[in-house]
Amino acid sequence: MLKMNNISKVFRTDVVETHALRDFTLHVEEGDFVAVTGPSGSGKTTFLNVAGLLETFDDGDYLLDGQSVKGLSDSQLARLRNEKIGFIFQSFNLLPDLNLFDNVDVPLRYRRFNAAERKRRIEEALEVVGLASRMRHLPSQLSGGQQQRVAIARALAGQPRFLLADEPTGNLDTQMANSVMDLLEQINKEGTTVVMVTHDPLLAQRAQRNIFVRDGRVSEVTSNADASELLHKTAQVG
Amino acid sequence: MNQIGPIFRALLRNKVGAFLLALQIALTMTIIVNAIHMIENRSSLMARPSGLDEANQFYLTSSGYRDDFNEQLVIEQDLRLLRQLPGVINATQINAIPLSGGGWSMGLRTAPGQDGLNTGVAIYFVDENGIEALDVELIAGNNFSTSEISYREANAVEWPQNAIITAATAKELFPDLEPAQTVGKTGYISGDEPLTIIGIIDQLQAPWNGWSGVERVMLVPQRTLFGSSRYFIRTEPGQRDRIMKEAEELLLRQDAGRLVRNVRTMTETREDSYRGHQALQTVLWITVVLLTIITALGIVGMVTFNVNRRRKQIGTRRALGASRGDIMGYFMIENFMVTSFGLLLGLGSSIALNIWLVDAFNLPRIGWHYLPIAMVILWLLGQLAVFGPARRAAGISPALATRTT
Repeated sequence: MLKMNNISKVFRTDVVETHALRDFTLHVEEGDFVAVTGPSGSGKTTFLNVAGLLETFDDGDYLLDGQSVKGLSDSQLARLRNEKIGFIFQSFNLLPDLNLFDNVDVPLRYRRFNAAERKRRIEEALEVVGLASRMRHLPSQLSGGQQQRVAIARALAGQPRFLLADEPTGNLDTQMANSVMDLLEQINKEGTTVVMVTHDPLLAQRAQRNIFVRDGRVSEVTSNADASELLHKTAQVG
Repeated sequence: MNQIGPIFRALLRNKVGAFLLALQIALTMTIIVNAIHMIENRSSLMARPSGLDEANQFYLTSSGYRDDFNEQLVIEQDLRLLRQLPGVINATQINAIPLSGGGWSMGLRTAPGQDGLNTGVAIYFVDENGIEALDVELIAGNNFSTSEISYREANAVEWPQNAIITAATAKELFPDLEPAQTVGKTGYISGDEPLTIIGIIDQLQAPWNGWSGVERVMLVPQRTLFGSSRYFIRTEPGQRDRIMKEAEELLLRQDAGRLVRNVRTMTETREDSYRGHQALQTVLWITVVLLTIITALGIVGMVTFNVNRRRKQIGTRRALGASRGDIMGYFMIENFMVTSFGLLLGLGSSIALNIWLVDAFNLPRIGWHYLPIAMVILWLLGQLAVFGPARRAAGISPALATRTT
């Protein structure tokens, strides 16, 4: 599903070079639920950006769903993002001037679905997250947890091959965070590959695999069984 | 184009900024349309032919000052000398200059007495050389004969028997007849004094360019003895400037006890006549250009503000699959909608302002074609103004979506 081999990403200014990713290698199989953890500045967000085709990389190979993304044009990357990836952001990133229906509609319009198809998908996605009855509400009329559910609906509506979640519960209280995680687990069980970046080891425990990133490299890969050990390490570093 | 619905709904939730911009566009359209209409109206007034051969005509004034100044003798001698100058086609004495702003007008009637329609006409006293010196075309009837030219004292009230009028005067006096058919008809001046129309000239303008009857002119076969004479001279093409100097020197050489002054070309007179129109046109053009620039800058400012305010939203849209073209399209469509709303408002207000101008200042009605042309221009201006900020918006990285600040 996602194969990154020796990916490097360097941010350059006139005076400083920052190696955000160094020989970063990670394989995620179809149906996986992977949590990426690591301390601040370790390269988690850069990994997420590269994995989500939001940023290009300097060196290495990246195959997404069997397709190399190296050298693709901006519009080709945009199309791949739209068709293959669903994004869930820490701050939800809903468009405040659009109601829930229109928010979920955004990626579907870029995909040029016809109106009837879009309507069907939007209603289904909002149904899955339990907000079908509020589709004409604005984001500002919802709680944080509900807004994140809308963001999940927006990510799901395009039926992506994999879901990239960036600290999906970072702005939520524990109860809402659990509810969102339940939803992500359910989505994963239904076959969608989920990659979640988080600094919260408790959430990471709920994934099948945990990737620990340090200094731009994959430092350690553990299965769920080793989660308590990872929890201990992350707590020490964090 | 499939973003129209959400853009429209989003605009409805942010009405104030969009409405203010639309209002500015409406105001711009209203002022631009009416200003250009006024400019064109002035241009058409300025483009009216005077009926003269302006490029080859000039005039000068001879004013006697000595006690023994024999005006009639001097006029006859001056005209003879002027006509003899090489390059002069003809010269006449005239009481007023077309478009100069100063002249003589009288009322003409088709019946004697004080009843009936009194048609105002500008009066030019000329001799039998007047038609050729002015370069007007006699389209019917006859020119004055040498024998019928009389001299008119300053306090005279009588009028000669014959007159030549312009076709516009003939149409006004005898609306049911073709101008040529009015030859031989009688007009009445000063109440009861009859004037026989012996000739029709195609066109000649009065001294007052703002007068609604500027084309209504009557030539009267007289020379004036008012102490000061204007000579109107027509030259061969390209000879005017040389002859102007020679004519002035020639008259000054005659020791006749008079001053020669105010030597001017018809070209200068036309420029002076329409200087106010030209100044107004310049002011209106400056207004149009400044207003257009200000509106374009307003659009640039508003869109730049919106782009900066929505950077994260744009990043999110890009992350969700929007191409650069989609982002550019978003802002162009949004601007098109705001501009269209402004132009619809402007359509109404442009017509309303024109109705007021027609009522208040007797301006002609605006041509319908101004409105679609202005709309297209302002649409294009809007799209042009939004292009730069929209392109910058399209350059926003999708990675901005994952930044928390």
